[in-house]
Amino acid sequence: MLYTDSPLVLIIFILCLILQGTIHPFRKTHRSVFGKLLQEFRLVSSDRRSWRILLFGALNLLCTGCLLMWCSSTNSMALTAYTYLTIFDLFSLITCLISSWVSMKKPSQVFSFGFDRLEVLAVFASTVLIQLGALFILKERCVCRPSVCLCSGRLLVGTFVALFFNLVTLMSVRNKPFAYVSEAASSSWLQEHVADLSRSLCGIIPGLSSVLLPRMNPFVLINMAGALSLCTTYMLIEINNYNAVDTASAVAIALMTFGTMYPMSVYSGKVLLQTTPSHIIGQLDKLLREVSTLDGVLEVRNEHFWTVGFGSLAGSAHVRIRRDANEQLVLAHVTNRLLPLVSTLTVQIFKDDWTRPLLTGTLSPSSVPPMGPADGYTLSSSSLPPLLMSSGGELDPLTSTPSKPTSPPPEFAFDTPGRNVQPMVLPAPGHHAHRPYGSLGLAYGASPYTGMLNQGLPRPGGGLGLGVQGLGAGYGLGVPSSQSYRTAYGGAPAPLRFGTSNPLASQSQYRQYRP
Amino acid sequence: MEDKYSSNVLSGGKLGMVEVPNSRLTRYIVLLVVTKILKALGIFESYDILKVVHIVQFIFILKLGSAVILLFFQKPFSSGKVISKRQWIKLLKHAVFSCVISLLGFFGLTLCGPLRTLLLFEHSDVVVIALLGVLFTSSGGGPSKTRGAALFIIAVICLLLFDNDDLMAKMAEHPEGHHDSALTHFLYTAIAFLGVADHKGGVVLLVVSLCLKVGFHTASRKLSVEIGGAKRLYALDNLVSSMVLLPWVIVLSATTESKVESWSSLVLPFGMIVFSVMILEFYVDAICSAKMETPRCARYGAIALFLSALLLANFWTHPLTDQLRSMSKPPQQVSTEHVLSGGVIVSAVFFIMSSSILSSPSKKGQQGTLVGYSPEGTPLYNFMGDALQHTSQSLPRFIKDSLKQILEEYDSRQIFYFLCLNLAFTFVELFYGVWTNSLGLISDGFHMLFDCSALVLGLFAALMTRWKATRIFSYGYGRVEILSGFINGLFLMVIAFFVFVESVTRLLDPPNINTDMLTPVSVGGLLVNLVGICAFSHAHSHGGKSCSSSHGHSHGGHGHGHGGHGHGGHGHSHGSGGGGMNANMRGVYLHVLADTLGSVGVIISTILIRQFGWLIADPICSLFIATLIFLSVIPLLKDACEVLLLRTPPENEKDLNSALEKIEKIEGVLSYRDPHFWRHSANMIAGTIHLQIMSDVVEQRIIQQVTAILKDAGVNNLSVQVEKEAYFQHMSGLSTGFQEVLAMTQQMETMKYLKDGTCIM
Repeated sequence: MLYTDSPLVLIIFILCLILQGTIHPFRKTHRSVFGKLLQEFRLVSSDRRSWRILLFGALNLLCTGCLLMWCSSTNSMALTAYTYLTIFDLFSLITCLISSWVSMKKPSQVFSFGFDRLEVLAVFASTVLIQLGALFILKERCVCRPSVCLCSGRLLVGTFVALFFNLVTLMSVRNKPFAYVSEAASSSWLQEHVADLSRSLCGIIPGLSSVLLPRMNPFVLINMAGALSLCTTYMLIEINNYNAVDTASAVAIALMTFGTMYPMSVYSGKVLLQTTPSHIIGQLDKLLREVSTLDGVLEVRNEHFWTVGFGSLAGSAHVRIRRDANEQLVLAHVTNRLLPLVSTLTVQIFKDDWTRPLLTGTLSPSSVPPMGPADGYTLSSSSLPPLLMSSGGELDPLTSTPSKPTSPPPEFAFDTPGRNVQPMVLPAPGHHAHRPYGSLGLAYGASPYTGMLNQGLPRPGGGLGLGVQGLGAGYGLGVPSSQSYRTAYGGAPAPLRFGTSNPLASQSQYRQYRP
Repeated sequence: MEDKYSSNVLSGGKLGMVEVPNSRLTRYIVLLVVTKILKALGIFESYDILKVVHIVQFIFILKLGSAVILLFFQKPFSSGKVISKRQWIKLLKHAVFSCVISLLGFFGLTLCGPLRTLLLFEHSDVVVIALLGVLFTSSGGGPSKTRGAALFIIAVICLLLFDNDDLMAKMAEHPEGHHDSALTHFLYTAIAFLGVADHKGGVVLLVVSLCLKVGFHTASRKLSVEIGGAKRLYALDNLVSSMVLLPWVIVLSATTESKVESWSSLVLPFGMIVFSVMILEFYVDAICSAKMETPRCARYGAIALFLSALLLANFWTHPLTDQLRSMSKPPQQVSTEHVLSGGVIVSAVFFIMSSSILSSPSKKGQQGTLVGYSPEGTPLYNFMGDALQHTSQSLPRFIKDSLKQILEEYDSRQIFYFLCLNLAFTFVELFYGVWTNSLGLISDGFHMLFDCSALVLGLFAALMTRWKATRIFSYGYGRVEILSGFINGLFLMVIAFFVFVESVTRLLDPPNINTDMLTPVSVGGLLVNLVGICAFSHAHSHGGKSCSSSHGHSHGGHGHGHGGHGHGGHGHSHGSGGGGMNANMRGVYLHVLADTLGSVGVIISTILIRQFGWLIADPICSLFIATLIFLSVIPLLKDACEVLLLRTPPENEKDLNSALEKIEKIEGVLSYRDPHFWRHSANMIAGTIHLQIMSDVVEQRIIQQVTAILKDAGVNNLSVQVEKEAYFQHMSGLSTGFQEVLAMTQQMETMKYLKDGTCIM
């Protein structure tokens, strides 16, 4: 009775603490949360496909209830461990529902990346929960060993019901997130051992290779292995009355569950931790190397690449460029390189000392160089005399390829008309000017341009606004003849090269442009 | 598939014999098998002899006999180079070690009987080294080796646990009865101290001496090169070790009376043992490992040895064999000693399997690191890195380093101290439980140990948070904390669920509870957990203050209990504000809180049961506790989920919105798109935004301004992509293919320019 006082005070204290901290907010949001849930549920169930999932979910609940009853009646720990796999099936069905909900949802303002991550979170949570369940089983085995008096009649029935049900659920419900994770995650030890065994089995019986050699589905594998160990348990108990097997097989099933779920939770956990997926790294490195060889790029740093949901990559990087490089051009090139791989990309371009006026090739006396599409090119060729053009012929060299300092100057010399007779100096007339570079694109062919050429060479692109002036003007610049751009890219790489000293690399960079 | 097959042929254990045709090696294999059978015979024989001859004498005779024969064959003194004094000293050490190992081995033989000794002790070095490689290095050599190691361990466990060999007669007779010498006495007392039956002690002894033997063989390789060949070394070693043993034997035979009636009848068995165990096996092993590859030799040898041992064990005590071996006196009790049992057979099968798996050649260097891709597109691997990476750190240094790391920071220090306290309490409880043999105490101790796992998780996460950013974890490891908080939340949910289920079943059928030990234990647990609560709630508010003032404020409300109704409104902001702070610490805190609640519940229900005899109080209490745990976890889970789902941090939402408005008002900015802001870790909010600006504005200035504005709003890892009209034109020029260009031009011709511009944006 000594302690009666202090604990009571403590209890009151703690209760106050908890009531204050948790129940209030919970109660406050309770109704709205529930209502929201119901609403979302209606949204999901409006889809025909999710009916099947719901049906299986209901069946699963029924089956799990049955199994749990049998578990308590047989007092078998192994069957309980196996039942957890059924519960895991329930989780995976819920994940499935969530993924179909996610596919209907658009990104909102607060969840700006969309709800794809909810799938990942659901996968992670269900795998972790099931592992914790396995941990509990292991703990219960360690802590208290109740004298098992197995009336093992239900054991076999329960095993087969659970196995049948799990397999049917696995086969009939297409579970996108789990299928993805089980393929993308590294194989569990169970899979590895089975693969190893089946490989040596195939060495003896080659005919089985088509069945055994492909990677096993981990869920099917663990269901089978669990059923097998339960059957062994049943046999040993029936024959030898050897009740300790139950414990052993419970531990074995728990360990197998652990082994199967661990790689998946690692994979999804890594997605949640915003890590760069390791299988992408090689590809990403290659792209970043390419980027850093672009003309004007000094370095790429602070690069962060991570997966939003399963599969879609997001990322950001800071690219430091030379002071005289054209930011928009480099940005376009960098984005163009990375965009096929990284769908949500942000590239921050930065220059050192940008407030200081350029020393060479100054275009204008102002501290801020005028920013136009043409600037970069003219500036980049610092060795050249300033190529400032008269406004009408404001030049823009060939599609956004920055010129190399080493490139021969005559090609930029606009005012030498003798050279510019043949190239298509596009005048960018009003109704054509909105065509961005793409329209002159690689395989665009000469015909539209010849038409344009005829239309009106001397017209300046003045009234275009937004710095489009004369965009088209320089299109033909680097190309000595009026051949199509495609051949120009492939055939005459020299003037188009970026700052790399390696022509091979630059060619390979262009390779992807070719349609 | 072809690839898999070819590698299979090389690596698969079953197909190893493809390399060299078996027919050429048949002679050697037969020789090996015969030798192994003879060896098994010799071991069985020596077990019988060891019953009458003292072990030291026995070994001395063996060494001496083999030394004489080997001297005759090898002529170590007349041939080869002269052995220097230093080498003699080394040889002496070597001999002493070999004496010790053979003493241990034969002592194990007397304890376990010949069959078990053969199963345990006669593994070849290849097998044991592969086993140790699997157990103690990360790159064991694939799943098959792991399987082999598991089989080996299971086999040893089978021998230890499931082998009903313990002879009651021998056990009873054993205490201090027939110990002939100080040595055997010492070993016996050592084994008795371990508290296991004789033969189990023998199993342990044999496993230890097996490892010793392998280590000894590896170490003696250098010496054998120095001396000039393994055979010369072996001969000299036998000679020197018999010299070493000589004084001991003289003393022994002088002090104790011999049990042997006639030495002359033992000459033949001794000769046979010397021949089969010491000489023949050595030579045949040497020949076979020269002719065949060692793993294969080991495989065949092990299979032959184990099978013949099984057969011999079955027939050795048979009356028929008794008649056959007339020279050895049939001991009376032999028929009941070290018989075959199910456990032994199972373990023998496992040993055979494991030794054949472990001795199968493994593909080395399977774990290459991907370097890149060749021009043809095939992956290139680097196999060198593996060897370089294994710079092992010494254990004390590692512990010291990690302790230093732990103690460096407040959070991890708190968790660590509390973990120590908790562990100490647990071990006291466990120890006391074992002392008083109270099952309740032990199980409660295990529960506490289980709860400690959450603390360990939290500690590990708190440590990991400080790791440097890597290629993979490009933002740093800060997020680990949140994930660990989430896992801890799930853990608590599972605990609450199990408690709930348990209490529901108990509600239906309230069991009788023995309340004797409960109160002191739960009060102790309560005290420990209260310390934890104090420590962590301090950390809780501490972190809160440094992070957001609203949190600290609402927490102050907690401390005073009745902070007024105004705090109800704060509840939500508390929950979300807490997400900003350390989710990991919150998880740990909630864990400790749940434990405290558990102890409180136990105390209350104990009081109620004692006072009023309400058995139902216990399940109701636990029901209540489960609900409380569940409710208290929900905010944590919700916050962690929000962070993990990359939600815009709610506490910064307002700031961010106003910041975005400000950004739109910057001169030259046309619009923005894709604003993503999310909390990466407790002290990092990351963001990316794309801006469209006029073409005559300097990008860098805009970036500077935007960065400043967003920094004020709390975003400290920002990427701004500034786009001008030119960018879109460059982009469309770069990225589109022919078809798309056609489509786009057609589309664009129908559009006005301005519309097009906005469309792209």
